[in-house]
Amino acid sequence: MLVLAKVALGLGATLAMSTAYVFHEGVIRVDVDEHRPGGSHVHFWVPATTVSAGMRLASLVPQHPLEQAAVQMKPHLPMFRVMAKELQKYPNAEFLDVTDEEQHVHIATVNGKLRIDVVGDDQTVHLQVPVETLMDIADRFEEAARSARAEEWHGRNGKHAFASE
Amino acid sequence: MNLSTRGFLKATLTLALVLFALAPAASLAQAATDTDQWIHIRVTSRDAKGEVVRINVPIEMAEKVLPAINKDRLHDGKVRIESAQVKDVDLRAILDAVRTAKDGEYVTVQSNENNVRVSKSIGVLYIIVTDKEHAKKAMAKEDAAKGTKASESVETKVEIKVPMKVVDALFSAGKDELDLVAALRALSAHGDTELVTVKDAENDVHIWIDSKNAGE
Repeated sequence: MLVLAKVALGLGATLAMSTAYVFHEGVIRVDVDEHRPGGSHVHFWVPATTVSAGMRLASLVPQHPLEQAAVQMKPHLPMFRVMAKELQKYPNAEFLDVTDEEQHVHIATVNGKLRIDVVGDDQTVHLQVPVETLMDIADRFEEAARSARAEEWHGRNGKHAFASE
Repeated sequence: MNLSTRGFLKATLTLALVLFALAPAASLAQAATDTDQWIHIRVTSRDAKGEVVRINVPIEMAEKVLPAINKDRLHDGKVRIESAQVKDVDLRAILDAVRTAKDGEYVTVQSNENNVRVSKSIGVLYIIVTDKEHAKKAMAKEDAAKGTKASESVETKVEIKVPMKVVDALFSAGKDELDLVAALRALSAHGDTELVTVKDAENDVHIWIDSKNAGE
């Protein structure tokens, strides 16, 4: 009985610790509702840590799709990174609010999370991402861009070497 | 496992959970202070649709982000001006003349089409332009579109207020460049101030700086 209690305590503690770790960065929330017959309704939330971890895992695969995205995003990566870093200093702030006849767009940080809300006649989108995760995403994309550049360099030099032979 | 060991384990677990829970809060502790300056832009449409745009940007953030953007004429927080745009006009000489001149009204133009007034007072440059012709044309066009009688036109009034230190910083980069980052730094140091107000038949535009992190 005592052994069982000890095992239960161990399992419970591990579960509590891992849950706390998974959620320590917060959650990414996405809600999309299309206001039309047959329109899609997407509602999900995912622990932000899993996104960072997922991107890290994806980068282990050679020529992963992240590299292609990183190459396309490359010119904007420095700005994205600086912005993510700076956003951390403003955990509760309103950055953009646009209201017109058809829709309302609102971008703000609330409790350290970037919130983008678009409420329109035809669709509603709510996105919530912890600012810390944006930094992780920027880091992963920069790594992927570097890796793509290295692969390109090796590929080019390899071709040259082959041609000279 | 004796009671004291179990107690210690429980206490450690609780502490670990509390630390994990507080981790995001600790990162928020680096948050900006209330003294940070924000640049606010508000555009309000006068038409029935009632469009409103509110933009609030911390000046410090803009100072950091601008140098990271390298596109077209913008690089390292500076904007390249085509030499053709300032051909035959020595902007620096004009600025030097304005800076060293005593406070007062430098330009006053009054005509049927527009009024222009440029003045300097206590280190701040004021430019006030009232465009009467543009307003008339805009109203006539709108009336023609609606098929209604000519309505009373609203003048387009532009008021720009720029601290001279900001102008100096803006032109500090070099001959063909405007240093936006230096200008932002100077603006931030200047404190709360109104920068631009535009009122016309279609929109109201208001740009100002203060230490609030939300617009009006």
